[in-house]
Amino acid sequence: MGQWKMENNDRKFEEYLGEFQPRKPRALPEQIVRRQVWPRRIAAAAAIAISLGASMWFARKKHELNSGEVVARNLTSMAEAKSPARALALVPLTQLALQDPEQLDAQLTAASPTVLPDFRASDSTLRVLAKE
Amino acid sequence: MGANKLSAEDVRRLYDQHGPALMAYARGFVPDAAAAEDVVHQVFLRLLSAELTMPDAPVAYVYRAVRNAALNARRSGLRLTELDPQSSVFRHRGGNQEAALALEKALAELPEEQREVVVMRMWSGLTLEEIAAAAGAPLNTIASRYRYALEKLRVKLRPYERSVNGAMENGKQRQEI
Repeated sequence: MGQWKMENNDRKFEEYLGEFQPRKPRALPEQIVRRQVWPRRIAAAAAIAISLGASMWFARKKHELNSGEVVARNLTSMAEAKSPARALALVPLTQLALQDPEQLDAQLTAASPTVLPDFRASDSTLRVLAKE
Repeated sequence: MGANKLSAEDVRRLYDQHGPALMAYARGFVPDAAAAEDVVHQVFLRLLSAELTMPDAPVAYVYRAVRNAALNARRSGLRLTELDPQSSVFRHRGGNQEAALALEKALAELPEEQREVVVMRMWSGLTLEEIAAAAGAPLNTIASRYRYALEKLRVKLRPYERSVNGAMENGKQRQEI
């Protein structure tokens, strides 16, 4: 490391370069207000905390809304599953009408209490209309 | 906590000690001495107004900061002070201002890494080992850069040399430093 050798004429040239001195740049001002770093750090930390909090709040809110949609969708599908209309699908009924009309009548009769409005209840609209 | 901060005193000391050399260094990136002075001044103003952690190698740090600021200034073409074509970064002890301008021009024409080594050694007073540590390069590389730089400067300044010409023609004695 320390074995670097220098030629004599390099030394002489260094001496010549030493005759030149860069001038001093203009003086720095005496009073400089140092910027405090910690208030900016606190502000940055606060901004990060606020944005994190907001994003978590939005994420939770969105999750709740999605859960509501899922519940509603489940209720709809359960209702569809229970619906008598599902039993009265068009294609099987058509086939049944072609093959066995009597069986079709029996099936429609059986399904009618659940498919048609009930006019036997006292406050049934159909019952009221039928009286008029 | 205050011990590892770059204090205003540290900054002012660095400015007094290395400001002139940094101007010579910055001059290689920007078109004139006034712009180089602006760059160095701005860098030290920023250092003064900010609370920074003391870098491991403060001299190397300010050289990097000046380099970056000078490159930015060159890109943006900013000039904060009026250009004086006669102004030079260097002053010659014997009053040869023509030679001072020639040195400034010759330094600006050196490759950046060679200019850095010459300026750090000649006008910041660093040893080649310190420069190697600051530049993060092997000592032999730094020594080669220094030699190449001296050779190029010698060729360009030959017309201005008087006092050392005779000595330079003497045989090549080698000395260990």
